[in-house]
Amino acid sequence: MIRRLPHGLVATLLVLPAGGYLALFFGLPLVLALLGSFGIYTRGDDGGFTLRHYADLFGTQAYRDGLMFSSYLAIVPTVVSLAISLPLAVALGQTFPGRRLFNALYKVPLVVPGIVAAFIVMTLFDRGGMAARVLAPFGLDLPKLVRDDWAIGVVIATAWKAVPFMTLIIGGSLGSIPKDVLSAARTLGAGPWAVFLRIKLPLALPGITAAFLLTFIGGMGSFAVPNLLGPVYPLPLSVHMYVNAFERNNWGLVAAMGTVLSLISVAVLLLYYRATRSLRSAYGGEHR
Amino acid sequence: MTIAAETAPDPRREPFQPSDGRWITLGLGAALLIALGLPLVVALLWSFMDPATGWFAPDILPPSYAMDHWQWAAGNDSIVKALGLSLFIGVCVTVLTGILALPTAYALAKLPFRMKRAVELFVLAPLIVPGIIVAIGIGTIFFRLDLVFTIPGVILVQTVGTLPFMVRVLAATIEAIPNDLINAARTLGAGPLMVARHLLIPLAWPGFIAGGLLTFVASFEEFEKTFIIGSPFVQTLPVILWTYLGGRVMIFPTAAVVTFILLAPMLVIFFLAERVLRDDVMASGMGKL
Repeated sequence: MIRRLPHGLVATLLVLPAGGYLALFFGLPLVLALLGSFGIYTRGDDGGFTLRHYADLFGTQAYRDGLMFSSYLAIVPTVVSLAISLPLAVALGQTFPGRRLFNALYKVPLVVPGIVAAFIVMTLFDRGGMAARVLAPFGLDLPKLVRDDWAIGVVIATAWKAVPFMTLIIGGSLGSIPKDVLSAARTLGAGPWAVFLRIKLPLALPGITAAFLLTFIGGMGSFAVPNLLGPVYPLPLSVHMYVNAFERNNWGLVAAMGTVLSLISVAVLLLYYRATRSLRSAYGGEHR
Repeated sequence: MTIAAETAPDPRREPFQPSDGRWITLGLGAALLIALGLPLVVALLWSFMDPATGWFAPDILPPSYAMDHWQWAAGNDSIVKALGLSLFIGVCVTVLTGILALPTAYALAKLPFRMKRAVELFVLAPLIVPGIIVAIGIGTIFFRLDLVFTIPGVILVQTVGTLPFMVRVLAATIEAIPNDLINAARTLGAGPLMVARHLLIPLAWPGFIAGGLLTFVASFEEFEKTFIIGSPFVQTLPVILWTYLGGRVMIFPTAAVVTFILLAPMLVIFFLAERVLRDDVMASGMGKL
């Protein structure tokens, strides 16, 4: 005899472990941060509704520059990584000797912690690092690459970790394109470049944009790598958040910064959905 | 006749022919050597630097080698403890993530219910909010629950970051299990727990392995959330490495040794995983949102 629970109740009970956990430890903190940024239930200060923290954030030069710098750290490493990952994913999809080995080895940076990547960049590109030592006999002098104004060290370390990640996702999307489609295109007279630009690229675009989005968000919130390799000024918003939370106890401002960064993430996510939806309707078929 | 015209050799040389294979091998090999091999060799050399002679600017190779820094690390209590703690936290996070993810993954894969898309999006949401925001947000709650600066607190905060991926991978694996199988088991009298134990978990095992390995890796190398919730009392390996790199004096050889202690388990797991993990598992977890 099987006792049947109502269907909706079963689903609710099953969703509860992960869903409830995230509601408690992810949703609730975000809601509290949103309220706290307006001065409601702010830790260590309960003065009621205020826009003071946002005024502080957008009125202070260092924080405005921090917001710009966080956006810079989101966009530049992601674009650099994409420029490397896309050709890499295409190359890894070809047949060539040693393909299996390459397919395993290129993913190693995925398991290398960000701090280790930062350390590696220091040993290679800091003043007196390996790159400078190798180039010195040729009379070449490297510009400042660590703690420099353009945060090139941060870009290198972030891209180094992001390239395998993006390549893996883009390679997966490219690999899932049915071979028949590609053969059909070739039979109908499309050259390899036309196949790439007009078939492979559009069909792999959901994967490409997903990889772009995740790398973008990682760069925008990154804390350790810019702290170790980035310039003294501007500091990214993530570092301002840390300093204001644990050294100045200014939790309202921290909440406002967190809210602004989250809103940017959500805005980029919505752009992503719009982009993939319009693509889906333009090319059809791809229902995910 | 038209067929003959179409199969006539194209005068233009087409890219990516099988004969181009060795050029791809050569190019990728060189890139891999520069981008991956060289940095690791330089870090390895730093870890074997002889403190008596140092390793200064014009020298490409250290003038002499010594085991001093490795011996120091082996005898250093805080590093040995940090390694143990990192492994312990990694195992706890992996088990907790797996237990929490399975029921939800099943519901998302097999049951129709209202607001399913919303639940799906919510479960994925931690992926798109920067970790530092999650950590500082949880911090304000953990202060009230006395969980800051504790190991359970670190385990709980890391699980927020690892759950979305695990749910994703498990849901993809469970989706592939035929409904007939589950229905047959139910018809023959198996209760939900029996179905889970004898059918779902064994058949979803590849998903558990893939998701579990990646969860463990993510936990072992996690820095930002651990640092904010746990530091300075919960010292995992990445947190220790941070103190060696972020301090006033940078200690390269020490940092290099800690780097390899941190990397060794990761690389072992990585090459084990390479045998069981298929790329599409990883791509299915992240390839679409």
